[in-house]
Parts: sequence; C-alpha cells; structure tokens
Amino acid sequence: MSIVLIGVNHKTAPLAVRELLAFSESAMGEGLRALVDGDVVREGLIVSTCNRVEVLSATANDQLQTGIERIKDFLSHSRTVARESFAAHLYQHVDDQAVRHLFRVASSLDSMVVGEPQVLGQVRRAYSQALEAGTAGRVLNRLIHHTFHVAKRVRAETGIAASAVSISYMAVELGKKIFRSLEGCSVLLIGAGEMAELSARHLMNAGVARVVVTNRTPESAHRLATEFGGEAVSFDALAEHLAEADIVICSTGAEGYVVSRAMAEAALGRRRNRPAFFIDISVPRNVDPSIGTLPNLFVFDIDDLESVISSNIREREHEAERAELIVDSEVMQFQQALRALDIGPTLGALRQKLQDIARSELDKQRSRLGQLTPEQEKAVEALLMGTVNKISHPVLNHVRRSAGDDQSIQAWREIFGLEGERQGVTEVADELGDK
Amino acid sequence: MKALLLAVLAAYFVAAIHSILAFVNKRRSLQRVSDLSLATGFVLHTTALIADWVIDRRYPLLSLRETLSFLAWTVVAAYAVVLYRYGAHALGVIALPLVSLLTFVSIFIRTGPAIAIEQISGASARWLFPMHTTLLTFAYAAFFVVFVSSVMYLLQERELKLKTFSAIFHRLPSLTTVNDIATTAATIGLTLLTLGIATGMLWSASRDGRLWHNDPKEVFALLTWLLYLGLLVYRSTARWRGRRAAWLGVVGFVLVVCTFLGPRLMSSYHAFG
Repeated sequence: MSIVLIGVNHKTAPLAVRELLAFSESAMGEGLRALVDGDVVREGLIVSTCNRVEVLSATANDQLQTGIERIKDFLSHSRTVARESFAAHLYQHVDDQAVRHLFRVASSLDSMVVGEPQVLGQVRRAYSQALEAGTAGRVLNRLIHHTFHVAKRVRAETGIAASAVSISYMAVELGKKIFRSLEGCSVLLIGAGEMAELSARHLMNAGVARVVVTNRTPESAHRLATEFGGEAVSFDALAEHLAEADIVICSTGAEGYVVSRAMAEAALGRRRNRPAFFIDISVPRNVDPSIGTLPNLFVFDIDDLESVISSNIREREHEAERAELIVDSEVMQFQQALRALDIGPTLGALRQKLQDIARSELDKQRSRLGQLTPEQEKAVEALLMGTVNKISHPVLNHVRRSAGDDQSIQAWREIFGLEGERQGVTEVADELGDK
Repeated sequence: MKALLLAVLAAYFVAAIHSILAFVNKRRSLQRVSDLSLATGFVLHTTALIADWVIDRRYPLLSLRETLSFLAWTVVAAYAVVLYRYGAHALGVIALPLVSLLTFVSIFIRTGPAIAIEQISGASARWLFPMHTTLLTFAYAAFFVVFVSSVMYLLQERELKLKTFSAIFHRLPSLTTVNDIATTAATIGLTLLTLGIATGMLWSASRDGRLWHNDPKEVFALLTWLLYLGLLVYRSTARWRGRRAAWLGVVGFVLVVCTFLGPRLMSSYHAFG
C-alpha cells in the first residue's frame, strides 16, 4: 500500500480556492465513502479546515497513478468543481513525503502561526470522522497514531508552542511563570473589551479559581460576570478588590490612570507582598507604569506585550527548526514500522518452514526407500511438496488476509514457530512473488 | 575503592552533561538519562562511603578528601529531594556539575597523613564530633539549594521587570516555585546549622571545657547563622519578600563558602586534613 496525500493549504491556494474544496461537517461522511472504492483507494481521511483541505489515503501499490487520478476526480466530483480551477494549486505527496507532510501539519509546523494548538485537534476530528465512516483501515490507523505521537513529542521537546504569540494568551503565560499554576488564583477584570474578555476566558480555561468584574456601567459588569460565572463589584470598591487579585486585566476607555501607584502600594501591603501582575491593554494607559518599580508587582502595557510577542514568534521559528529534525527521525521510524506490517516475509518463512519439515522427514526415511531413480526421486519430491502446498494453501491465504495487522501476523509467526527465522526469508518471499 | 569512586565520578559526570543538554534542548529522554545516571552514582557513592566507614572503622568525614566527597553526596541528596518535591530539574544544571567537580577533587586531591579520630576528639563524647560535621555538611547542601534557587529567582524577576524574556526564562521553574524552594531549604538549612553549631560547642566543652574559641570558622559560622536567621525572620514578617530575600540567599552562600574554605587559608583550629 502507498500513502498518498493530495491537497491545498494557505500557502498554495487562495481562500477562494480553499473554500471551493472545503468539506463541511455534514458532507464529510458521504465524501469519505465516495473517496474510498475498496479497490484502488483503500482507505481515506479528509482534513478540512479554514487553512487547508487535504485528502490522505492508502492506495494500492501497483495502481498509484490511477489512485492519484481518482482522488483528484473525487475532489472535482464531490465538490462539483472543475479540475482546472484547482489543479494548479494542488500538491501531492507519496509515501515518505506524505508521511512527513502529515507529521508537519499535525505538529503545527505547516500552520500560519507556527505552534498553534488547534490543528492537532482538527486532525483528531478528521480521524474520528474517518472512523465513523469506516474509511480508516490498518495503514491509516497506524499512521494517525504515529502522527499523534509525533505531535506530542514536538510539543514536549521543543518550544514551538511554549510561548504566547497572542495578547490574550500572554496573561496565561505570565500567570504560569509567576504563580506556577493558575489554580487558586483570582482575576480582576477592570472594564470590558474584546481582548480583556478573551484573556479572561483563556485564564478560566487554564484553571483560574475566581473572576471579579468591575465596570463604570454596572450592567456590563453584571453581564460579563454571569458569562464567566464570576462576581460583579462596584467600580468605587476597586481599591479594595485590588488586594485580592493576583492578575489584573485593565481595559477601559478612561483618560488617565484608573489604578494609581498609591492604590497598588496599599494593595501590596494588604497582600503581604505576594506577587501580582497587571495587564493594561487600554490606550491611553489605565495603570500607572511606575507600579512596575514596586517589589513583586509587574506591569505590562500593550507595547510590552507586543514586543514580547514578536520575540516569542522569533523563538518559535527557531524552535521549529529543531522540530523538523524530530519529524525527520520519526518519518524514518514510521517507515520501519510500516515495513514490519508487510506480510511478504512471513508468508515466505511459513512456506519455507513447511517445505523444510517435509524434506527433513523424507531424509529420515530415505534409507528405507533404497536406491531411487531420478524419476522416482522427482516423484517423491513432487508428492511431498504437492501435499504440503495443497494443505498450506488455505492457511497461507488466511495469513495473507491479515496483512497490516501486526498482532495477527505475530500470532501466525508464533503458531508456526517462525521467530528467529527472519533473516533470509525476504529473498525467498521475493522469489515466490509474494511482495 | 578508587575504582568505585571513579565509577561514581563517571556517573555524576554523565548525569551533569545530560542535565545540561536536557535543559538546553528540553528533551525528556535526556533528563531521564540524567536521573538514572545520577541514581546509579548515588547508590555507588553511598556504598563507597559505607565501605570506607566499615573498612577504616572510623567515620569517613575528617580529611578534606572525605569532606568533599561527603559534601557531593549531600548535594545529590538535596537535589533529589528538590526533584521529588518540586520537579525542578533546572537546579541540576548547576548542582550536578558542582557535584562532579567535588567528586573529582576528592578523588585526585593529595591526601595528607590519615588522622585518627582520637587525635582530635580525645576520648570523651566521641559521637558528638561526627554529629557536628555531618549536620553541618547537610546544612551546606541546603544553603547551596537556597543559593541556586535565589539566583533563578533573581534572573527571572529581572526579566519580568525588564519585559524581555531570554531563552533561559522559559526553562526555569516559576517564581513561586523557586521562592518556595528557597524558603523551605533555608528553614531546613538553618535548623541543621543550629544543631551543628550546638553539637560542636558541646563537643568542644566536653573536650577542653571551652564553648567558643574565637576561631575564624566559628566567627564565620556565627555570621552565617545570623544572616539566615535574619532571612527567615524577614521572610516570615510578610510571607513573600521576593528580590531582597533572594539577594540574602546569595550573600548567605558567599558566607557559607567563606566558612567552609576560609579557615583552611588562615591557619585555624578548625583546619584538618
């Protein structure tokens, strides 16, 4: 089986083309079943996101070209688009290249923002859709599981996703850096704004215990508070609540400082010097920057955040180079794993083993047979081999059917005691034409 | 015995290298190699220390060679505790090269004539002397942990204030973690130091009737004790003191090093081996 990957992404195709080819959630099942024909294209999976549409398939070895054509036709038919309108934007990868591409996509090395975490979830979703549609078989199962392993490894061993590259996520990163874990921390949201809300949402997802919202207009404070399951407090009580907040996100339209140095000093005293940080995304600034010179208090305004983010992006690109090395080595490992799935050597070894048994039994009885003529010799041989082959034929067919299934191949090898006979059998298998 | 110690050195060295590589490359597998190698080294080292004790029939903590070797052992133990409690592998980047260095020096340093413990301790209260030295060695290891975590605190605090994050920043444990490690280690260290000084005084009193000799080492030890006491009082008045407490942790360790090495340079009552 060959692994074939054909598709478009944000680098090769404009949105106008990508949207023509995109599969909606509801069209996916039908599309997958149309893709797989059981003969040439044996297994299939479709990753369709706003940045890419990719068809991954396991295709019969000897009909690779036919397979590729069929997949392109499939895209054209199922999306009712003429082939010419997207053909120029397509890339196609086979075997190693396809595997590498998939690993890179899932590890978020091929994403618009390198290291973004969503794409792995999208691949996961594509896989479960293929499972539901019954179009993921042995080869793709194996490939996808290896893909998840690679993506996990890349995340764990490189910093491509380590640092925040969006303002809304900086709060989470800073929180983890200062407080170890966000559990038990409380957040004070001053004012409302899209960015502030998004930050608060990320913080909630990261496990923040409590969100307190305050606003000059109490109604919007209440609305936000109910949305986050937090509590709304009066804007006049801001100074009191400052002392309880570990993380303060400030974004109001006010002119001048909403949080003054004196307020912060008082809060620090009541916090018994426990650290806290302020994220000020308002312009003009609402948090007095001189608060940053007080011990254990950290203030980040919008420019600070932007500059940290741009250095984080550079850091990610640097880490991406190391991720590519991991992908390279994993592609090699996957090749080896795939080779183990190959049935040829097992078939050859099994046949050889049965014939060897027959020959050795013949040798044992040879003395009793007396002198044989060459014709007789041939006849005895033919008799033995014919019997062995006739008996083993259905067995071999059965073994052949378990191609790609590691466990049953292993079971077959154990039943016939084939371990330790791996060497040399490949040639036999080739000779017998079982490849 | 030397072969065993060389094996210990090799294991520590491998652990140190892998710990640094793991820190730079963020590779868990390298960290595992480091941990395993360290564990192996620690077991062998423990065996060597016990064998030393059994064979020579005297407590192996007297000459400079023995002291350095034991100090390395206590630093490994302290690092293991930090790993278990806080998972702060970053500490190993400084601790393990130091351990390797101490072990290296302890193996290859020229040793003076062996001193029998009777020479120093006399007959009375013989058990007090090894207690004294053991407690203090553990205290040194604890103060080393305070030092390293304080440095990690200061590095990160500085970057947070300047709002520019280096590659190291992302690899260090959080501020809260290093602050906790420093506080805990300082508490343990001060307790051990207090007990160590007390046993020393008792032993001295039983030997020649004097609690205090005004020896340089004793003066340094007293200063160290006062400084760490100050540090802990300062920390406990408001739970978190951040940068200034971290600086105290650094200065304290400078005093510890002076206490340890100083008297060897100025000839002193406390200089052995």
